[in-house]
Amino acid sequence: MAILEVKGIYKKFGKTEVLRGIDFSMEEGEVLSIIGSSGSGKTTLLRSISFLETADEGTVTLDGEVVFDAKSVFKRNKKEQREVQSKFGFVFQQFNLFPQYTALENVMLAPKLLAKEREDYKKNKKEILAEIEAHAKALLDRAGLSDKYSNYPCELSGGQQQRVAICRALALNPKIMLFDEPTSALDPEITNEVLKVIKSVADLGMTMIIVTHEMNFAKNISDKIIFMDEGVIAEEGTPQQIFTNPQNPRTKEFITSFSQQTEDL
Amino acid sequence: MFTEVTLKLLEGFGTTLEIFVLTLVFALPLGLIISFGSMSKFWPLKWLTKGIVWIIRGTPLMLQLIVIFYGPGLVGTWATAQIANGASGFLIEWLATWQVFDRFFAVMLAFIINYSCYFSEIYRGGIESISKGQYEAGQVLGMPKAQVFFRVVLLQVVKRIVPPMSNEIITLVKDTSLARIVMVYEIIWAAQKFIKSDGLLWPLFYTAVYYLIFCGALTLLFGWIEKKMDYFKS
Repeated sequence: MAILEVKGIYKKFGKTEVLRGIDFSMEEGEVLSIIGSSGSGKTTLLRSISFLETADEGTVTLDGEVVFDAKSVFKRNKKEQREVQSKFGFVFQQFNLFPQYTALENVMLAPKLLAKEREDYKKNKKEILAEIEAHAKALLDRAGLSDKYSNYPCELSGGQQQRVAICRALALNPKIMLFDEPTSALDPEITNEVLKVIKSVADLGMTMIIVTHEMNFAKNISDKIIFMDEGVIAEEGTPQQIFTNPQNPRTKEFITSFSQQTEDL
Repeated sequence: MFTEVTLKLLEGFGTTLEIFVLTLVFALPLGLIISFGSMSKFWPLKWLTKGIVWIIRGTPLMLQLIVIFYGPGLVGTWATAQIANGASGFLIEWLATWQVFDRFFAVMLAFIINYSCYFSEIYRGGIESISKGQYEAGQVLGMPKAQVFFRVVLLQVVKRIVPPMSNEIITLVKDTSLARIVMVYEIIWAAQKFIKSDGLLWPLFYTAVYYLIFCGALTLLFGWIEKKMDYFKS
């Protein structure tokens, strides 16, 4: 059974139709990359899946549960919204770390606030907090940040900030991770350190969607690639199919322009 | 004489401080509430709030003091006269009960209303300057709106508004002298009494020392707060 099913997503901003009927599904553990030129609707699609935008039409089903349906307004209470939202981990292009908290505090904040709602919180406070801290530290260690626990975001490089942001998103044990152009705000030299961390998350079997302009990375890490053009999925297939044998003329054009760029350099 | 003047002025400065502290205690939280009103998505509330802020910021505090102190008494007298001329009705009878406020109360009312409007604009500027990404980052971590505001946004807002706030608060110290217009016994009024009673002008000049010392202390305090929040950038 598919872990994520996206059906018939339409989204308009004013009169501009940004998404014009998006359907796709993913299996557990799959890595999907969404590529396409700027303005093709990739980011809006990712944001619509994770409640940052409200689609005008369509449904999103996660793990068998309909989490979004444009036809019926979901009246979720805070607890329910929290539960469903925390199944999606989201990584922003601009990191959006909380500047007044250290790296470790950034990762621990959401789990701590969530734990406060547990019934046994008062009784087992110490154990619960120790557990959260251990988990957060383990995540940071795995991202190569074991010496940066107590650094504030302004003391970290862009690459380090993005790695903290990935740990922060992982801290709530999401079912699926969404990356919105995670390396677009980074210098080329430090792009790799972030890509490595994303790769390590994929290797652990996490289901993920990556919106990216890093074609080589998309080719290597993905099980499936979606090429978007003007608000629709123009082509969908394995990296092999998309990069070496694209069917749609727009895909062909896009892929060639990228490979030419590499040759020109 | 010098000691006598110093002590009298100190007494007057006590009232100055009282106006200053009470204004802050009430206007700081009230300003935050007004700023929420002016940022509301419910447009009648938004425009009502903006209208009030426009009136308060668009007229002199001195005029507001006079209106608040003398206005209710004038309304009461006028309504009483109307009733004497045969007017009747619930509204006019209620208006006839209006009386002059206590001087100090009128001053506090004017200062609190005036300063909460100024503070609300500072809060609004601070809150609106926080990037959308901070709210979204909170949202995708499942935090409810109130939690995002108090746990994520608020401290960043505080950091950003310390400089304009300190400016406004230092202005407040000196604005308290306007209370003299409705004859509240603050430091300027205390000094002016020496002109009448002893023909001395220098006590009035001497009041500057009190203001300078107090504003100097405030400047140091705000500098310290700014330094305290230097550990993060936003």
